[in-house]
Amino acid sequence: MDAAAPRAGGPAGRTRGRLAWLGLVAVAVLLPLLVRNKFVHDVMILTLLWAGIAGAWNIAGGYAGQISLGHAAFFGLGAYTSSLLYVDLGLTPWAGMLAGALLAAVFAALLSAICLRLRGPFFILATLAFAEVARIVALNWRSLTRGSEGLEIMFQDSPAHFMFKDKLPYTYLALLFAAGILALCRALEGSRLGYWLRATREEEDAAEAMGIDTFRVKVAGMILSAALTALGGSFFAQYFLFLEPGHVFSFEISVQLPLICVVGGVGTALGPFLGALLIVPASELLRAWLGGAASGLYLSLYALLLITVVLFMPEGLVGRFAPRRRPAT
Amino acid sequence: MTLALAQLVLSGILIGGVYALIAVGLTLIFGVMKIVNFAHGEFLMAAMYATYWLQALLGWDPYVSVALVLPASFLFGLAVERLVIRPSIGKPHLVVVFATMGLSVLMQNLALFLWRGDYRPVRGALGETTWVLGPLRMNGALVVACAVSVGVTLLVLAWLRYTDFGKGLRATVQDRDVAMLMGIDVARVFSVTFAVGTALVGLAGALITPAYPTYPTVGLSFVLVAYVIVVLGGLGSIMGALLGGICIGVVESLTGYLIATSLNQLFSFLVFLAVLVFRPAGLLGQRPATLAGAS
Repeated sequence: MDAAAPRAGGPAGRTRGRLAWLGLVAVAVLLPLLVRNKFVHDVMILTLLWAGIAGAWNIAGGYAGQISLGHAAFFGLGAYTSSLLYVDLGLTPWAGMLAGALLAAVFAALLSAICLRLRGPFFILATLAFAEVARIVALNWRSLTRGSEGLEIMFQDSPAHFMFKDKLPYTYLALLFAAGILALCRALEGSRLGYWLRATREEEDAAEAMGIDTFRVKVAGMILSAALTALGGSFFAQYFLFLEPGHVFSFEISVQLPLICVVGGVGTALGPFLGALLIVPASELLRAWLGGAASGLYLSLYALLLITVVLFMPEGLVGRFAPRRRPAT
Repeated sequence: MTLALAQLVLSGILIGGVYALIAVGLTLIFGVMKIVNFAHGEFLMAAMYATYWLQALLGWDPYVSVALVLPASFLFGLAVERLVIRPSIGKPHLVVVFATMGLSVLMQNLALFLWRGDYRPVRGALGETTWVLGPLRMNGALVVACAVSVGVTLLVLAWLRYTDFGKGLRATVQDRDVAMLMGIDVARVFSVTFAVGTALVGLAGALITPAYPTYPTVGLSFVLVAYVIVVLGGLGSIMGALLGGICIGVVESLTGYLIATSLNQLFSFLVFLAVLVFRPAGLLGQRPATLAGAS
C-alpha cells in the first residue's frame, strides 16, 4: 500500500532529494568531529544504534506485519554470543558478532516455526513469551552466562578487539551500522522480497492465493530482522563492556524497538530513524534532567507522550503507513 | 513425601485460585473482546493501593474496602475504555498494545513517584490465620480469595449465559457488524464489558492485599501469568480461566519445590507457548486462538 519509491516529481525534485541526503550525510559525518563533547557523542551513538536496531525490527514488524515484542531475545543473543566467545575463547568480537547473528537467525527460524499459525495479538504474546524464556534461561544458566552477576569485558585499547578508548570510532561505527540498515531497507523496499513481505502483511490469504509462499517470506523477514538485531546487540556489548541478562534480554528492549518505529512510522525505511531521533535524545535528556530528582516522574512523562503519539498519530512522523484494510479488533 | 506433595498441591490450588480471580477479568477483556490490555496488572496494583490507603487512613478492613474498591474499579474501567481503548479500536494491533502499555508504564511510575517503591502490607480480619485441614495447612486469606474466585466465576458464567447483556456480548464477539444491525449497542457492550473486567481485577486486588504486599510493580508478577491462564483455559472460556488458573498454580508450586523457584516462571511461559502451538483452543475453548486472531 505504501509506495516503494516514495520520491515522485521530476528530475528537479530528485536532485533536491539527493542534495538533501548529501547534506544529511555531511552533517552526520562532521557533527561528531565538530562537537567534541562526551555527552553529545554518547547520545549520538545511542540514537544511531537504536535507529539501526529499530530498523532491523521494522523488517519483520513493519514490512511483514510480524509484530514482535520479543526482539530482546535476539539482541541478548548477539550481545552474549560475541562477548562469551571473546571472554572465554579469545575470539575477536568482529568475528563473534557474525556468530551471534547466525545464532539469532537460527532462533528466528525456530520462533517463526512455533508461531507459524498465530496471528494478531497471539503472535505478539508468543514472541513476548519467547523473549521471557530466553531471559530466564540466560539468568539461570550461570555456568555459561554468569547469571545476574553479569559478564564484564576487560577493557584493552585494541581496535582489533572492537574496543576503543575514544568515543569517536564508536560514533562512526554506529553511523555505519545505522546507514547500512537504512540502505538495506530502501533496497528491500524495491526488491521482490520487499513486495512479498508487504503483500503478506496486507492480506496473508490473498498473497498465498497469488502464489507467494507466505511462510517462507515470513521466516526470511524474521531471520534478516533477528540477525541484524543481534549485530546491534554485539555493538551494544562492545560499547558498554558489561552485560546482564536482566538488561540485555529485558522487556524494555523488546518494547523500545517497536516504540521507536511507531513514533517514526511503522513499515517505512525512514520511520525508525525519525523515531530514534526523537525518542532517544529526548529520553536521555529527560533522564539526565529529571532522573535523579524524582524517580518515576521521567517515565510517567515518557508514557504520557507514548499514549498521546500512539492514539493521535498512529501513522508516526513519516505518516505514510496506511492501516490494514480489515480493521483488527 | 506424599504429605509434602499433598501440601504442595493444596498450596498450588489456593494460589491458582488467586490467579484465576485475576484471570477472569482478563478473560473478558482479552479472551472475549480480544483487547491486549497490558495495563491489567496495573489495575490490580491500583486496587491494592486503594485498599492499602483505606486501611492506612481510615482503618478499613480490606474485606470492607471491597465495597468501595469494586465500584471504583468499574468506573475507572469505564474511563479507561473511553479514553484509551475506544480510540484505538479498528486501528492496527500495535496501537492498542502501545496505548495500554503506555498506560501501564504511566500507572507504575506514578505510583513510584507518589508512594515510593516500599512494600506495603495490609492486615486483613483474618490476619495470619492458618486453617488446618487434617495434616495440611492453608493460609486463610488465600482460602477466602480462592472461594470468591469460584463464586465470581460462576456469577460471570451465568451473566454471560442467561442475561440479555450476555447474549448481546456473545453476539458482538461473533460478528460485530451483524450484532450492530440486530440493534445491539456495540459500543456500550464494549465499555461495560471492559469495565466489568476491570472491576473483577479490582476485586482481586482488594482480596489479595492480606496475602501479598503492595508495591508499584506488583502487577507485573501477576499479569503475565494471567495471560498464560487465559490462553491455557481457552480464550473467552470463563470456566477455563478457573481451571487454567488452578493448573498453573499447582504447576508453579510443584516446579518451585521440585526443580527451582527461579524456574517456575519459565515453566509457565513454556506451557503458554506449547498451548499456542499444540492446542490453540486451550483446555475448554471452542475456537482456536489462531482463528480468533485472524479477524
